[in-house]
Amino acid sequence: MPPQQKIQVYILAILSMLMIKTFTSIFWTNADDSTNQLYTYFGIAAGCILFLVIFFTYYFSKKYRAKNPDELPEQKEISHKFELFILIVASCITVFFLILSINTMQKIQDIPENPKPDLVITGHQWWWEASYPQSGVLTANEIHIPVGKRILLEVNSADVIHSWWVPALGRKIDMIPGLKNYIWLYADKPGEYLGTCSEFCGVEHARMRIRVIADTEEDFKTWTKSQLEPVITQGTPLFDKGKSLFEQKTCTNCHGINGTAYSENIGPNLTHFGSRKRFLSDMKPVTRENLKAWLTNPQDVKPGVKMPNFIFNPDEVEALTEYIYNLK
Amino acid sequence: MSLFIDIPEDDDQLPAINKDSGRLLWIASVDHKQLGIMYLWLALFFFLIGGIEAMIIRAQLASADNDLISPELYNQIFTMHGTTMIFLALMPALIGLATYLLPLMIGANEMAFPRLNAFSFWMTCMGGFLMYFSFFAGGAPDAGWFNYAPLSENNYSSTAGVDYYLVGLILTGMGSIGAGLNFVTTVLTLRSPQMKLNMLPLFAWMIFINGFLLLAAFPLLNAGLFMMLIDRQFDAHFFIPSTGGSAILWQHFFWAFGHPEVYILALPAFGIISEVIPVFSRKPIFGYKFIAASTVAIALLAFGVWIHHMFAAGMSNTVNGFFAASSMLIGIPTGIKVINWIGTMYKGSIRMTVSMMFAMAFLIDFTIGGLSGASFAIVPIDWQLTDTYYVVAHIHYVFLGGTAFGIFAGIFYWFPKISGRHLSEKLGKWHLWLFVLGFNMTFLLQHVLGIIGMPRRVYTYPADLSYWEILNLVSSLGAIFMFAGIAVFLWNIYVTLKKPRQAEDNPWEAWTLEWATTSPPQLQNFTSLPPVHSRRPLWDLKHPDNPDKKLN
Repeated sequence: MPPQQKIQVYILAILSMLMIKTFTSIFWTNADDSTNQLYTYFGIAAGCILFLVIFFTYYFSKKYRAKNPDELPEQKEISHKFELFILIVASCITVFFLILSINTMQKIQDIPENPKPDLVITGHQWWWEASYPQSGVLTANEIHIPVGKRILLEVNSADVIHSWWVPALGRKIDMIPGLKNYIWLYADKPGEYLGTCSEFCGVEHARMRIRVIADTEEDFKTWTKSQLEPVITQGTPLFDKGKSLFEQKTCTNCHGINGTAYSENIGPNLTHFGSRKRFLSDMKPVTRENLKAWLTNPQDVKPGVKMPNFIFNPDEVEALTEYIYNLK
Repeated sequence: MSLFIDIPEDDDQLPAINKDSGRLLWIASVDHKQLGIMYLWLALFFFLIGGIEAMIIRAQLASADNDLISPELYNQIFTMHGTTMIFLALMPALIGLATYLLPLMIGANEMAFPRLNAFSFWMTCMGGFLMYFSFFAGGAPDAGWFNYAPLSENNYSSTAGVDYYLVGLILTGMGSIGAGLNFVTTVLTLRSPQMKLNMLPLFAWMIFINGFLLLAAFPLLNAGLFMMLIDRQFDAHFFIPSTGGSAILWQHFFWAFGHPEVYILALPAFGIISEVIPVFSRKPIFGYKFIAASTVAIALLAFGVWIHHMFAAGMSNTVNGFFAASSMLIGIPTGIKVINWIGTMYKGSIRMTVSMMFAMAFLIDFTIGGLSGASFAIVPIDWQLTDTYYVVAHIHYVFLGGTAFGIFAGIFYWFPKISGRHLSEKLGKWHLWLFVLGFNMTFLLQHVLGIIGMPRRVYTYPADLSYWEILNLVSSLGAIFMFAGIAVFLWNIYVTLKKPRQAEDNPWEAWTLEWATTSPPQLQNFTSLPPVHSRRPLWDLKHPDNPDKKLN
């Protein structure tokens, strides 16, 4: 091979290696090593195949380029034994990956016969309802789980099909109205894990993101306890004004607050809203300014969202903000 | 019993533009060549519209939290982009090439059902324009090209867009069924009497098999579409879970059609590649029998793999495992075809025409698409990567890097036959390099975007996620190169069509029957046919001292 071609082959080899590297190192997932292992094996196999195809296409096109237009090669095919050989190799690779994937599937998706979920998530256009059947906590969008424990997650949907995907915590699962699906979640260290709805679910699908907060066992217990505490019902005059506005202005037709008479779940549950870090499915941090902008015109902040613009005057926005922000 | 059926020649010739004059003949003509050309123009028209939609999508995604277009409009545009490219650009382009070439390749003067042929074209055409009329009727469809229920039902999609999608696709679907019937019947009944089925040129063989796929797959889609239309117009509940329907049933209907559809779009491209590579390598194809037989295997298996689009829908490990196995199985015959094509180049005398270069770009980029496709058969990988940009990259490597590169190779190869003029090779090389480089720049990176967590069909993304913005920006820049490539292609067509007709009958020294007649062919394709005793009749004619093995 002339040196120039050698360099070209090296470049190709490096590119293929980079592809393998992409496959194997960039993944977020640390949920289970077996999926990572599959990625690695697949990356190596795919990288090798791709390298061979690129190499031979390129090499033949150089080597067998016609010197003059009328040149005619021998009209002979390669031996068909070669075809057979490739067929056998391809079948072996296939069987290898089939066995590996079935083993991995069974490891990841081993749901018990009568599943008792630790966490139930219901997808809504475009927010997440979270309930913890064991403790009775009901909340929205901000999802807490304890670390070092496999959590059995039940998902379903209140309207259209959504899909739950937090890559670092486990597999993706569709949330289908009328069906219950189950997967395991597992976080090995405390922290915040990002994810997203991955089935197109309408106008604000892009803003239906997930943030799961993995707490230590202790923090999770504290959080659970705080969520179960009754909400405050009295405060500053502005707070009281906000509370009565909340009741008058039909907010309660959609939003529930645990421990009060309002239990609708058409919109996100607002119990202890002030304790949450972010709102609107992880779109904005919970601050007074963001809350005011939202209440002034939700359609400006998140166009197409189900909450209508109530055309509150600035005083009302102020009062409602005071009320909701202090629901801790 | 003979399969051959004598079809009596009409005493009255059927209407065609070459015979009489008058503008109405553009509508009335049933000549397969003219209809083929009209299919190709239609495909080009919608390819440009779909391309402009793609440019809007890439412009919107070029930066984080961009508000160039509203989310509502974005959803309409990506829905129409997918639907247009698949049903109104790629399908008509392939059916158009097949309509033009199939009779020529088998030595026939017309399709078996010329009027049905015209009907198919006009159904496709009308279906397409009807779908686009939705932009003026309150909004285009906005539930994605696979239109999942219940998002596509009245409760969640209240404009008439989805209704236009349903009716438009029902019409184009009817057109496709007609085309499939025509292909199968034409091959079975109108072949040159000497041509046995195992002597068909591979393109004709792929179209023949494709005809069966069209006949079996499109009724599934149309059944589903009708059910949803009944849901939306007459308040039925097929796909509405809250009133007793099943949301997932729609997915079964759609993907039971949808996966064969992938092969409906791939097989004709395989056929084009199987014509182009041998001719420009100056050698017979390596493994005709394997390619022909594996195509039948693919066509059958194609109906048993659809669940791999639904691995994340929560079906049991048993079901998923079965479909993982069948999906991996279908990769084998497809993968070995690539070996056959590369093996054809081995020890050939390769002429690097633009057509051949597109075929080689096909080999590499289709392999990438095939490999990323194989990764979806590995269920745990699918559980992570389905519905992300990794899928977007995959589908584009299959449909653009595969099917569209195949179509470009075919257009450059058959343009002299169809129009009597050669497309400029120099402009063609600009087109090729701009398009291929732009294509890989846009879509190779999208694999990475999917892997780091970007879901598909999002109108924007938050700015604080590392690498998302830069990768999306580079991806958008690649789209500009592709757009420039297509501009060069259009310019190439324009300047070529202004030149006088001067192409020889057989400029590439090819071996199949379409090159035995004039360029372009007369209204009656053949007055006499060369003898057909092997798969390469024109080779035998030119090299009587060294003919191929006699097959009849």
